[in-house]
Amino acid sequence: MTAKRLRVFALLAISMIFLLAWAFPILWSVLNSLKTDSDVLAYPPKLVFAPTWEAYRDVLFGSGSILPNLLSSVIISVGTTIVTMLMAVPAAYALARLRFRGKKFAGFYVLATQMLPPVGIIIPYFLVLRNIGWIDTYQGIILIYLSFSLPFAIWLLVSYFEDIPFEMEEAAYLDGASRLKTLWRIIIPQVRGGIAVTVVFVFLNAWNEFLFAVVLSGNTVRPVTVAMFNFVSVEQTLWAKLAAVSVLAMLPVVVLGVVAQKHIVKGLTVGAVKGGGRR
Amino acid sequence: MATTAVTSAGIASEAPRSDFGRILAQRERRFAAALLAPAFLALLATTTFPLLFLVYTSAFRMDLAMPFTNGFVGFENYQVLLSDDRFWTSLLVSLVYTGSTVALQVIIGLALALLVMDMKRGQGWFRVIAILPVVLSPAVVGMIWRTFMLAPEFGIVDFLAINAGLGSKNWLGDPTLAMVSVIAIHTWQWTPFAFMVLLASLASLPEDIYEAARLDRASAWQRFRRITLPLLRPAIVMVIIMRTMVALTAFAAIFTVTAGGPGTATEILNLYAYRKSFTELSIGYGSALAVALLIVTIIISGILFAMRRAK
Repeated sequence: MTAKRLRVFALLAISMIFLLAWAFPILWSVLNSLKTDSDVLAYPPKLVFAPTWEAYRDVLFGSGSILPNLLSSVIISVGTTIVTMLMAVPAAYALARLRFRGKKFAGFYVLATQMLPPVGIIIPYFLVLRNIGWIDTYQGIILIYLSFSLPFAIWLLVSYFEDIPFEMEEAAYLDGASRLKTLWRIIIPQVRGGIAVTVVFVFLNAWNEFLFAVVLSGNTVRPVTVAMFNFVSVEQTLWAKLAAVSVLAMLPVVVLGVVAQKHIVKGLTVGAVKGGGRR
Repeated sequence: MATTAVTSAGIASEAPRSDFGRILAQRERRFAAALLAPAFLALLATTTFPLLFLVYTSAFRMDLAMPFTNGFVGFENYQVLLSDDRFWTSLLVSLVYTGSTVALQVIIGLALALLVMDMKRGQGWFRVIAILPVVLSPAVVGMIWRTFMLAPEFGIVDFLAINAGLGSKNWLGDPTLAMVSVIAIHTWQWTPFAFMVLLASLASLPEDIYEAARLDRASAWQRFRRITLPLLRPAIVMVIIMRTMVALTAFAAIFTVTAGGPGTATEILNLYAYRKSFTELSIGYGSALAVALLIVTIIISGILFAMRRAK
């Protein structure tokens, strides 16, 4: 009996350690963002302190405000999401439901594009965008974001389209509805949930992207993940402000992640399941 | 050719070879082409075209800092690459980084999934907390670790090390410790992914096999070794494949934490290609490095997919 108790206790301890390890860096950033710089720098680290919104006020409304950068992140992420969905929904429907020659190859091509290392895409893209003056523009950055968001969205949507029974379409065709009308009126409403999940993931990936952003950004287009570097320089680090910016950059994705919690495993593993065996 | 009118597919099936059927099939093809066209044009423009252009630029000397020396050089970049110590070092760093982070993620993730699976209460906590690291931007994660966690005499990890009697360490300034740090950060962020996927597949395993094993008095270890592990194998291999691809092209977290340093201690091949192209502005050679990375990626994924098929 005592051995069993010891086991339970050990399991509990291990669980706590892991939960703490995962939550702590995020929690610590939140705490630091609510401190003054001297509280952040206090040694030993302070767990109890007088919280203040000062750092947030400074980074949002002070000089060198990151509001334009947050806006930049929003425009990039929303723009990428809209363009991606407009292209991915029809393509996924065709791959999941229609019969045509070369379908297998088309599906494989979409998967294979994901093998390309991003650095191999950005080098030539940088040269092209520089020539046509699209560095530091929203269209330039959104276009290249399609390289990772499209394959992902297509495959995730295919898995949702495949779940709808074929009878729905048949009934509509027999009623004399056109293909486009059937897709729009009958099929799309059936995959609303899947579309919502895909939107969440596409937005999340676009918000978090860094390599393309750091190469293509400038004074006009500078998402928050890149602008964050303004707060750490060789001369000094603005600790509390850096924490506040980190929290602001984390906030939307954490909220979306927790909201989409049930679908996250499916979203994270999409493509891999399809890749080798099943089809 | 026999007509295979799959009834459940109805109109969408391979239609009988009547005129009517042919027209329908043709219409379906056209409809499919119209639906696929925008996405495929975009993919051609943003993936296939850059790949071809990358291979093309890798045959040039293209120095943005010294444009007067630019020109076609054929395979010279690749010859240079083969005798470039920094390339071989970065390849080794890539392999160490990828191998250790993937191994750690799978082992810790699996152990934790087995542990949580047996928990009667508190599973919900794990499901929520585990999501947090994986949805974060690796750039933000890197920034948090670099400052609030690892900064000497300030970060929490250093604070713990001092209190454990190890003394303050230069976590990101010492070559070995820097490598350990970037591996730890990647492992911290992505173990929850392995954990969630493996927990989901554990939960889907049939209960009755375990009942039978229990009746046969199989020990816990035997049950794990003979039942759980074989059944979980596809999921484990899938996690390994996905995580390997990501680790090989990891960028943001290393870039923000060490930028490949100190020196080239944490410079994985991906980062080397970036630095060569965009810091040292030697685009032609950077392209050759990126092509090398693609080849390495293809070889490794080939091996992993072979592993997946092998029984």
